[in-house]
Amino acid sequence: MSSYNKVTPQIADQLKAVVGEKRFFEGEAIKPEYSHDEMPIYGKYFPEVVCEAETTEEISEIVKICAANKIPVVPRGAGTGLVGGCVPLNGGVIISTRRMDKILGYDMDNLVVHVQCGVLLQDLAADALDHGLMYPPDPGEKTSTLGGNVSTNAGGMKAVKYGVTRDYVLAMTVVLPSGEIMKLGKTVCKTSSGYSLLHLMIGSEGTLGIITEMTLKLIPKPIVDVSLILPFPDIASCISAVPKIKLANLDPQSIEFMDADIVKSSAAFTGNSVFPQEVNGEPVGASILVTFVGNSEDELDLKMEKLAEVAEETGAFDVLVVDTPTLKKDVWAARSSFLTAIEADTKLLDEMDVVVPVNRIAEFLLFTRELGDKHDIYMRNFGHAGDGNLHIYCCSNDLEEEEFLRRVKIIMDASYAKCVEFEGQVSGEHAIGHAKKYYLKESVGDTAFNLMQEIKKVFDPDMILNPGKVCTYICE
Amino acid sequence: MLNILVCVKQVPDVDLVKMDPETGNLVREGVPTLTNPLDLNALEAAVQMKEKYGGELTVITMGPPMAESTLRECLAVGATKAAIVTGRPFGGADTLSTSYSIVKAADMLGKFDLIFCGKESVDGATGQMGSQLAERFDASQITGCLLIEEVNEEEGYIIAQREMETGAETVKATLPCLLTVEKQNYRGRIPNLKGKLASKKAAIETFTENNIDGLDLNKIGEPGSGTIVPRIYPPDLPEPGQIIDEGSTEKSVAKLMDMLAEKGAI
Amino acid sequence: MEKRDYKNMWVYIEHDGKKAEPVGLELCCEIRKVCDITGDKLYAVIIGDLAESEQTLVKNCGVDGIIYVSGTGYEYYNTDAYSNAFTVLSKKYNPSAIFVGATVNGRDFAPRTAVQLDTGCTSDAMQIEYDPKTGDLEFIEPAVGGKIMAVITFPKLRPQIGTHRPGTFKYAPVGAKENIEIIKEQIDFPVENIRCRHLSFAEYEFDPELEIADCDVIIGVGNGLSDEEQLPRYRELAKLLGGKIGCTRPLFDRDILPYKLQIGQSGVIIKPKLYISFGISGAVNHVAGITADTFIAVNNDPEAQIFNYCDYGIVGDMDEVCDRMIAEIKAKQ
Repeated sequence: MSSYNKVTPQIADQLKAVVGEKRFFEGEAIKPEYSHDEMPIYGKYFPEVVCEAETTEEISEIVKICAANKIPVVPRGAGTGLVGGCVPLNGGVIISTRRMDKILGYDMDNLVVHVQCGVLLQDLAADALDHGLMYPPDPGEKTSTLGGNVSTNAGGMKAVKYGVTRDYVLAMTVVLPSGEIMKLGKTVCKTSSGYSLLHLMIGSEGTLGIITEMTLKLIPKPIVDVSLILPFPDIASCISAVPKIKLANLDPQSIEFMDADIVKSSAAFTGNSVFPQEVNGEPVGASILVTFVGNSEDELDLKMEKLAEVAEETGAFDVLVVDTPTLKKDVWAARSSFLTAIEADTKLLDEMDVVVPVNRIAEFLLFTRELGDKHDIYMRNFGHAGDGNLHIYCCSNDLEEEEFLRRVKIIMDASYAKCVEFEGQVSGEHAIGHAKKYYLKESVGDTAFNLMQEIKKVFDPDMILNPGKVCTYICE
Repeated sequence: MLNILVCVKQVPDVDLVKMDPETGNLVREGVPTLTNPLDLNALEAAVQMKEKYGGELTVITMGPPMAESTLRECLAVGATKAAIVTGRPFGGADTLSTSYSIVKAADMLGKFDLIFCGKESVDGATGQMGSQLAERFDASQITGCLLIEEVNEEEGYIIAQREMETGAETVKATLPCLLTVEKQNYRGRIPNLKGKLASKKAAIETFTENNIDGLDLNKIGEPGSGTIVPRIYPPDLPEPGQIIDEGSTEKSVAKLMDMLAEKGAI
Repeated sequence: MEKRDYKNMWVYIEHDGKKAEPVGLELCCEIRKVCDITGDKLYAVIIGDLAESEQTLVKNCGVDGIIYVSGTGYEYYNTDAYSNAFTVLSKKYNPSAIFVGATVNGRDFAPRTAVQLDTGCTSDAMQIEYDPKTGDLEFIEPAVGGKIMAVITFPKLRPQIGTHRPGTFKYAPVGAKENIEIIKEQIDFPVENIRCRHLSFAEYEFDPELEIADCDVIIGVGNGLSDEEQLPRYRELAKLLGGKIGCTRPLFDRDILPYKLQIGQSGVIIKPKLYISFGISGAVNHVAGITADTFIAVNNDPEAQIFNYCDYGIVGDMDEVCDRMIAEIKAKQ
């Protein structure tokens, strides 16, 4: 593979002509955050130029210029990723979609919404509720963009009941690596019409095309909801409740789990211990937070009573009911603060976003904890117990970065190998980026990985779009 | 065995209350209600006292029938009895008449050793109810209570800390005593399912203008109020200041900082 | 008695023997203006011994008279003796209005006195007007989270009692009157009847970061702040400008910053030379607490009400603007 070209002053002028001076940045004017996402530990790489696009056509023009000059081009939304997916490993041009933040309109008959890719998840979520509707995908990072969500096939807390982002994308507009604009999908819910390029594009992390507009499926918003906290003496008993809840036909919207350490960190950080750390003097080892939605209070009461039976059967200390606006706000604020709380009291951290079969969750967590203990790295865990998607953070405040990275690599190598052994997935919702691609290869095997590489070449023979990500290597 | 009373209020979520730009009236329809957050701190302090010393814990509120949900919320976390003062004639009350109505109703429920209130409500925000109830209960008062150190029922006193501007004052008060509670040390607890389900079925005593002994109808509602609100109006908005927009944040900030430096403001 | 038979207005001068609380003096200055309109006399009420020099300060606020209360029961503040003193005095002299600084103790006894006198009580009004048609004062304050201004009156009852936050009114003494009436009252409150007694006082460790009332530069942070993690940059900006940070009510409610940093009608009232607000919508109860020589507003919503109160505004992401300001200042150092 031949190397990339630099952005010359002439090319810069062409780009500037597309977006105008105000939305064009180069050199010193580029903010430092464009060199990393929320995991700076995976390295910082600066672009040569940042263009803030406002339309699909502008993106198309920019990509055409880059294609003609063989300049790498990387799309970037809110930059809240955790695997370095939007980091410009080879420099070049970043196309920022943050100005493409318009909700273009609702189609109330077909229950869909048309959006630009830079709309923030929290903005669509709130706006949909105002329309009496709900956008079910609910990744923890509410300030991420919908374009980013679709590009990573983000999951979130409600995946147990509603599925993931992929299940809500009906159609999209994409700018291909040639600069050509293509529409994929239709505003209908069924298709049996050839290879699904739409679904190939979803979760492709900006390596096959830049998603600029989307048609997303919505559902009527639930009328009532309630969350319940079940504290357990240990992780094993805690996780044992998860399949039982599903088998009891309770159809929870989410089942989140949190271990005692993360609850303690969160309490210290927010100054508010929402999740119980002990019940009647007994220390809580882990808890689950279960949410039900429904059409009436009575319906929820029935579910709660059934849940109480499961709780008793599996050895929960208690069942706490979160059903007032104030409590809901407190509990979800605490749940949302987990990552921030970890970041606040940790100098060095790395993370895993693995998925394992639900019945292997406890085993996997104990395995990683032992690894952490052995290498003097402390671990913090929380995640989506309902679907086996775990967020495991390796943390240290004492080690030098180099030594930290060395030890974490040992832990990661062993953990991902264990994950493969358990028939799990490398990433549930944070995607691969450049940080996890070696583990992806291990996990899917050579044949599948090679196929991915071949697909990439079909779309992007010159490898200009988001190079070095998912299944391609940096070409110098 | 202590007999404890907690006074609570259901309030609209003030963040969601809007003003009708046409009429200048507050639009409360469809605005969710909640239990005044500081009242939950008062309730928590009361529940802790009940757990420590034993006894009954009654919650009382005044408001429309829907305020019962606030009482059930309290029953779910440890209150043992609940009462509501409700009825049109109680409407439009200020703190003078509200404190009168609540104490008249509470007298029907017995004598209380400790009475707890939130420090203030998020809607009215006068912070007066505690002192006024204390006067009407003929009780001592500890406003802004940070921490209860001791309750001695036999000798009839309570020792507690009050939050002052520059420190904490420790005071000793006789029983009955009314306390308004600061939130720091008494964060509300989450109810368990058992408490929740029981609270849904619990009986709530209802007081109206017709069944409170010795109620002077001239002292309740708007007629019994010392203050009224003859009018409300939207706040005057001054003309907007100068918006600095130089095309990018960087340039706008640079311009602003230059202007400030020139003015001698920085 | 008819309400017109109640005459004159009183201001309570809270003190610790050595110093008068500034709020009492501020209220004297404001009520002086009100009395000039209504024709009432202005009396300061001093309970217990106060240093001579501080009494001079009170006199300089243009009072027509001073009521000195002496007797047992006043050594330490307590609700019973203090509320009783006002009740006894009020029943004897029938004032039209009583104004009390909304200190912790002022807020403790004033509402109780009101019940003893069977009258109403207002709190935290930012403005006091007089309606000559009714003869009633109008206590005007932002209400319901600052969404409206409410006018509160006492249509029937007297005295009209109000508690007012320190800093609400300007301390602008007009000078002492020639003849100041001196009234001395002995009101003994039996010490054994004090039901809530002072035992001890533990002063908080003095944290200068929490004292913002007299600070020249204040960086205000509002609900636009989505989490605590964003705070350090605002502290840094404040530090670079030689100032401190403050906040709006939601940040206190969310336990992000302490109550002592809450700026506004129901918090601290500030008069800085420079105020920079970040992510603050501009509810009246917040801005009512600010008098700034230069007021800068930063908010990502161009429609935010805060821009109506600022001298200069920037529409943009609060964190980004803050970071740029820090960079600008550092570049110039």
